[in-house]
Amino acid sequence: MSSEPGREEISPPAAAAREVPGPAAEPPRSQVRFSGSGSEYFRIWVVNLLLTLVTCGVYSAWAKVRKTRYFYQNTRVDGHAFDYHGAPLAILRGRLLALVLLVAYSWSFDISRTVGLATIAVLCVAGPWLFMKAQQFKFRNSSWRGLRFGFDADLPAAYRTLLPLLVVWFSGTILGALLVPLPVLGIVGLATGLLLPLMHHTLKRYQHARISYGDVAAQFQPAVGRFYSVYFKGFLLLIVASAVGSLMALGIAWGANHFRAALGIEGPGDIRGVAIVAGGAVGIVAYLGVWPYFSARLQQVVWGNSRLGPVRFHTYIRAWPLLWLVLKCVALTVMTLGLYWPYAAIALARFRIERMYVIAPAELNEAVAGVSARTVAAGEGAADIFGLDVGL
Amino acid sequence: MATAPDTSIAATWFDGKTAAAHPVRVDVIGRALALHDAGGAHMRSVPLERTRLSEPSARAPRFVYLDDGSTLEIDDAEPFNRALDALGMRPSLPARLQRSAVAATGALAILLVALVFGYTQGVPLLARWIAFALPPSVEARLGEQFERSLDLQMLRASGLSEDHQTRLRSMLQEAAARGAPGVQYVLKSRATRQGAGINAFALPGGTIVLLDGLVEAAADENQVLAVLAHELGHVANKHGMRNVLQAFGIGAIAHATWGDFAGAAANVPVVFGALRYSREFEREADEYAVAFLRANGMDAQPLIQFFEAMAERKDHSGEGVADFLSTHPPTKERIERLKRM
Repeated sequence: MSSEPGREEISPPAAAAREVPGPAAEPPRSQVRFSGSGSEYFRIWVVNLLLTLVTCGVYSAWAKVRKTRYFYQNTRVDGHAFDYHGAPLAILRGRLLALVLLVAYSWSFDISRTVGLATIAVLCVAGPWLFMKAQQFKFRNSSWRGLRFGFDADLPAAYRTLLPLLVVWFSGTILGALLVPLPVLGIVGLATGLLLPLMHHTLKRYQHARISYGDVAAQFQPAVGRFYSVYFKGFLLLIVASAVGSLMALGIAWGANHFRAALGIEGPGDIRGVAIVAGGAVGIVAYLGVWPYFSARLQQVVWGNSRLGPVRFHTYIRAWPLLWLVLKCVALTVMTLGLYWPYAAIALARFRIERMYVIAPAELNEAVAGVSARTVAAGEGAADIFGLDVGL
Repeated sequence: MATAPDTSIAATWFDGKTAAAHPVRVDVIGRALALHDAGGAHMRSVPLERTRLSEPSARAPRFVYLDDGSTLEIDDAEPFNRALDALGMRPSLPARLQRSAVAATGALAILLVALVFGYTQGVPLLARWIAFALPPSVEARLGEQFERSLDLQMLRASGLSEDHQTRLRSMLQEAAARGAPGVQYVLKSRATRQGAGINAFALPGGTIVLLDGLVEAAADENQVLAVLAHELGHVANKHGMRNVLQAFGIGAIAHATWGDFAGAAANVPVVFGALRYSREFEREADEYAVAFLRANGMDAQPLIQFFEAMAERKDHSGEGVADFLSTHPPTKERIERLKRM
């Protein structure tokens, strides 16, 4: 649920700080710039953390606003920074709601099957509305050049698009609770897995086609094939990473036995300990190896197919430098017992944000000067009732 | 005032109605802002109390939100911040804390102390309080889940005869009436699928699982009773529930501190730590066992003898997974303490 700096949630859609010289025929491209500093964010992080612990988590909503503002206000397109206006109390309400839903979902099946299925039904019914509200909160509270972004919150469309996704997502749990035979469950699980890229694409299309900046609406060109290709390559990579991880785990186990022998310890070692270390190593290598590639490629596809009026976006993230950066951040965070984390967050955000370009047909400054504020419909104030973090 | 003074601050004004950028110069005059356009002509004056300010930051612009919905974006905010400081307009407390290196160092120190204190004292205290406040049904349900997964993965039905099992149950029942009155428990016999399985463990909710291996390895039934008394100590003190709650609390703190980063790692202690009790819990259960044995006219000897036998076994061979040694390490220190009791 929580947002991570550097994911696109932190970098709102749009355009440019420094003109990048290109061939004369090409439209002007401007790079998105990020000016956050690790040492400054470290201070924000540590104060946020202390106040969150002291207030038993209540301050976390204010912490989220400070953190988001820091990342937004340090992100510039065409020399102008983004701004974030989310109200902490709305975020606190959203977090309490999310906590209630999470607890209900985790415990309901322990109470009884009926209560469990009822909870899933409630989640399916409330889910599209909640997701829509969360998007509305996020974009309506983001601004650039004094104008707010927006999100077209059309309730029937939200249900048409998202309800089937939720039903497919929960299908395994529902059928499992109804004691459907195992082979059927396996087939349903496999089908869900095969549908996952399509579902993810549907979600992204819903999200990106409904964003607006002032009175300009965004468009999203369907890219189902490219989603499948990214997922497929990610899956292949996962297999390779798992193989490498298993080899590493074997190496660790072999080394541990060798070490014991060298120390003259007799008898078989603590098999469980070695198994845990080895299993952990496989998991970490697979996660570290595949996740950066997967998220970078997906970000590239999503932004490459999004448009805001005449403005297009281009992201160029190469997997290897990102993997290297992630490994470095993880190693330093572990070695410093977590104290490097805020520096890592800034480094990762810079990497992702500064590899994004905004392409406008003319000077961006002129292209957007005519954009005017959208008249806010009655009832849209309800967007501020609560804010939810949805890291999708 | 027709022209802007040289000391004025460059900024961009957005009217909030269009995205058009208007370059302006801003002067802080008294407790008001004077805005001049690029040509130097006076645009407007705004009293500071009718504006809201974003918090200052080293490299981010500072925003001034005017009450008509327009915004000033001041990219080089340092002169503006200084002018406001001179007026005594200070940012909010968290913002000031975040700007000061001393405060950040202090916060870090307090945070580290709080984390250490929370880990060693706060979380165990809170877990104890919650464990005793929770309705027994929650604990029972958790215990059932543990039992189900143990039965599925590691255990099978006991090989002891029905008579033997009944004898063990009534032996414990009689002793518990004197040594642990009012403690709700259920004794179940099981065997491990692999390994010797010299073990017994207490699950949340009061189920005590006694493995055949332990019954066979014990020199007499007094030793079995002593181990069961120790497990009753875990039950009476709700150690199982407290263990789960503690792991959950530590996971929650880790999650709050490092976000998603620790998410996966935080689950590891929950899974693997669930059957392993801390030294503190083991000591409490040992004390309980000794009191239990004394209430039955015995002393700590059966427990000590069993621990010593186990420690000796450890020197001779390695043991399997569901082993007494891995969940109840009979350290020298522990045996010494029992002897002093």
